[in-house]
Amino acid sequence: MALKDWINYADYSDLQNFAYYPYETHNIVYEIGYNLYQVLGGLIAWIIDVLFPNNGLSTWLMSGPVVNLFAIVNLALIIFLVIFTGVLVSLWQERKTLGRFMDRRGTQIGMKGFLQCVADGFKTFMKENTTPKKVDKMGYTWTLSLVIGTSVLVACMLPLSDRFYIVDYDAGFLIVMAIYALAPLFILVSGWAQNNKYTLIGGMRAAQSMISYEIPMLITVCAVAILAGTFNIGGVVAAQNETMWYVIPMALGFIVFFTASCAEAERTPFDLAESESELVEGWQTEYAGMKWGLIMLGDYLRGFASCAMVSLLFLGGWNIAPFVSAEANAFLPELVQLLKGWFVFFLMIWVRASLPRVRIDQILNLGWKVLTPLAIINLGIAVVLKTGGFF
Amino acid sequence: MAMKYLDKYPRSTAKRLWVLKPLWSTIKLFSKTAVRRPVTIQYPYEKEWLPDNYRGRPGLRFDMCVGCGVCERACPTQCIKMIEVPDDNGNMVMRPQVFLGRCAFCGYCAEFCPTNAMTVTPEYELAELYKKNLFWGPRRLHFEDTTPEMEVHYEVTLQSDIDAGNPEKRVRPFEVDNPVVDEGKCIGCKKCERVCPTGAVTMIEKGVNEKGKPKLVPVFSHDKCICCEQCVIDCPKDCIHIEEVL
Repeated sequence: MALKDWINYADYSDLQNFAYYPYETHNIVYEIGYNLYQVLGGLIAWIIDVLFPNNGLSTWLMSGPVVNLFAIVNLALIIFLVIFTGVLVSLWQERKTLGRFMDRRGTQIGMKGFLQCVADGFKTFMKENTTPKKVDKMGYTWTLSLVIGTSVLVACMLPLSDRFYIVDYDAGFLIVMAIYALAPLFILVSGWAQNNKYTLIGGMRAAQSMISYEIPMLITVCAVAILAGTFNIGGVVAAQNETMWYVIPMALGFIVFFTASCAEAERTPFDLAESESELVEGWQTEYAGMKWGLIMLGDYLRGFASCAMVSLLFLGGWNIAPFVSAEANAFLPELVQLLKGWFVFFLMIWVRASLPRVRIDQILNLGWKVLTPLAIINLGIAVVLKTGGFF
Repeated sequence: MAMKYLDKYPRSTAKRLWVLKPLWSTIKLFSKTAVRRPVTIQYPYEKEWLPDNYRGRPGLRFDMCVGCGVCERACPTQCIKMIEVPDDNGNMVMRPQVFLGRCAFCGYCAEFCPTNAMTVTPEYELAELYKKNLFWGPRRLHFEDTTPEMEVHYEVTLQSDIDAGNPEKRVRPFEVDNPVVDEGKCIGCKKCERVCPTGAVTMIEKGVNEKGKPKLVPVFSHDKCICCEQCVIDCPKDCIHIEEVL
């Protein structure tokens, strides 16, 4: 059999007839993953078939369930790589923008400094992977994996557009917030497990500050859900496209959510758990080499997820603007969502460049006495707008 | 008590909005630097503009130098040494050699040089692999593009000049100071005539010594004298000194 007979290259209308197609709407990532497997797997199946004619392995490789499995693996890889690249860009953006804020240049070598993160990653790979003698091995290793894993999960679960998602689910933001809020618990356990006073203080601070900013954040998400009538991420974006960006009626909620998500991502005005000028490296002190590098990557993934959430909740997500025609909105919506996320990240960098780190009592005061009342007022505004029939 | 505190530090809206002030100042700077270049200079690839009288390494104009040794005495780090080198005609002359490993780039040698043969240059990248290569001889000290701005002038204003209604600065020490000989001590050995780098000393017969024979004493030509003090240093009887004009 020729190579062409092994490859069943499909566009979306063909894919819908595929017995194992897992989605109800068009998912471009699955389509790419499916076709990628058709090309690569078909090539392998053809080579095996040429070497051993009429064998069972080739037909099994191209049978429906196996194709579906590898298409989903490809989907996961593609989504992670896209998010990962977006995070690397935001890292580069932070370096360059902070440089401009301080009247210097930031990184420069390699594609205007973009490849600096590659060099940094390579450097952390080269470092010796040490583990201190007296740490609690299980807590030390598992919490690290869980912190990084939840960060990656949150960042990847936020869709880039209505055709670029892993799973479309009605609980939407609730699940994302739930996974998002897990990390401080692991940070606390990790700080304890490392048998070091700095890490313990860092972990305690992470847990303390988490309970102060998590509540206004969730109340704000609820206010958005009241206006949109759904927790589904696509539903919220579609509702904004029908009416207006929610930043206009709920500017208060935007400020509350932005501040709280800065704290959630542990970015500089609220990076109490790390606070490298007080507690060596905070809760990450005892992690060496690539473990620390992955923690940094996880931090930026959380920052990226925060920005994406602000964009989805308040800035209209992947639609350019409500008054733009549907054809224009349909042109590369993923890029629009990424650009909005990077714009919010720019605001975060601006805040980082301007403000000094708050004390632990200040963030507790801010969370309980300022942000929570403001979030409740915002919730009231949302209820009034919804019951008044404006939305 | 509370009232006193509030009187001292009244609550203003601007102070309550303390977050906005740093945000505003940073975004102002960002909007400026987003348009123009940052102040950082990429050192190996681009260099800062240097003025002509930038005090880099010392430079020497070999032919203008008279070998008086003022630079050697003025050098605070003692990195200058007078060495004997052949000049263009093959005669052996004294010229300064600079050990740049010790040079502080202060420019005093150029400032005190009576003939302005020593200059400052805008060169400052002088790394060498071996320490011995940091000894720069008189020929190597030559700098191609020496401009008049690279000379450093030692300017003096005298109180007597100001009193006389002439407050212009004098730019040479030798316009100010003169060597004076104590004729009673002088033995007429002619050493000052030999060491004078500019030939400002002439020996003339004047009077007689204790034995009744005619005696030679130096006479200094103030036009040629550069006040380098060689005669003062080399006089065996210490009979010459520099008299400062005030």
